[in-house]
Amino acid sequence: MKSLRILILSFVFAFSASAVNAQGPIPNITDYRLDFTVVGMTGDSISLSSLKGKVFLLDFWASWCGPCRYANKQLVKFYNKYKDKGFEILSVSLDDEKSAWKKAVTKDKITWMQGFDRGGWDSFAARKWQVDALPSSFLINKNGDVVGINLEKDDLEKKIKELLGL
Amino acid sequence: MKKIIAVVVVAFVTVALQAQFSKATLQASGLTCSMCSKAVKVALEKVPFVQEVKVNIKSQEYTIVFKENNNADFDALKKAVEDAGFSVASLKVTGNFSDVSVQKDKHLQLDGKNFHFINSSDKVLSGEQTLTIVDKDFLSAKDYKKYSAATKMECIKTGKAGNCCVKDGMHSEERVYHVII
Repeated sequence: MKSLRILILSFVFAFSASAVNAQGPIPNITDYRLDFTVVGMTGDSISLSSLKGKVFLLDFWASWCGPCRYANKQLVKFYNKYKDKGFEILSVSLDDEKSAWKKAVTKDKITWMQGFDRGGWDSFAARKWQVDALPSSFLINKNGDVVGINLEKDDLEKKIKELLGL
Repeated sequence: MKKIIAVVVVAFVTVALQAQFSKATLQASGLTCSMCSKAVKVALEKVPFVQEVKVNIKSQEYTIVFKENNNADFDALKKAVEDAGFSVASLKVTGNFSDVSVQKDKHLQLDGKNFHFINSSDKVLSGEQTLTIVDKDFLSAKDYKKYSAATKMECIKTGKAGNCCVKDGMHSEERVYHVII
């Protein structure tokens, strides 16, 4: 009986490992397999599932990642343009040093939600979302569904507008 | 009798000429930010003699810890990085040496591998020592050019023993790692 339970549990585990899967059902942020809580700039905690109901971009980055810093420039523009229309961003930094993270946030003039998840590739949120390259981003609609992965520039803007009904 | 003593002494010296490599530090480079991809770390972790790979963002290096009593194959590390879509910009290997005498521009067998010390003047290595591999594709093209000019021996170009050491019993196809210390 015990071994059967272990067997069932291991099946559940095997399937749960692939919550972000292109072939599977659309991932949703309310799925416990994807939810996480990160520490914000002021020491506050931000949980992913609390953002349900908003059109937002979940963005993984790090201060040492050159392409991420470049992408921030674009995100600053989009954020300023669409924040009043209801667009949000949650950036999750995989930095090891809090000071490096905070410095980069200030330098890149980031005013949206910022979370810190130490541990690089092994950090909790990065593992849950199977992040294997930086930057990685997920565009999420009001239902909490992931509707775009790694969209950039025009493609990203077009989709943001569509989701906001603009 | 003298001959036997000589043979015994030689055998003893050969055994004592030991080095065991325990870890390496590697830098990868490519067209894109190499540290921004998990691919290099994952590829290195799959190399059989690798115990653990740590990412050091500050120095932009991977620290690779080898399994105990490994027979570390440094070419396998290079291949892993290249298969992940990047190239090796620097590979330093650290081992424990017990009184190994090295001579400049001479081949030496250590831990089952052949080494060619490019720059070191005659000295005895003991304790923990780090060697930098300067073979082609183990460092930038510019640095390789610099080190390959430091020896007249052909093996720096091929990484193989070639004709240089046949009389010492080395097969021409044997791998020779070129190192600096």
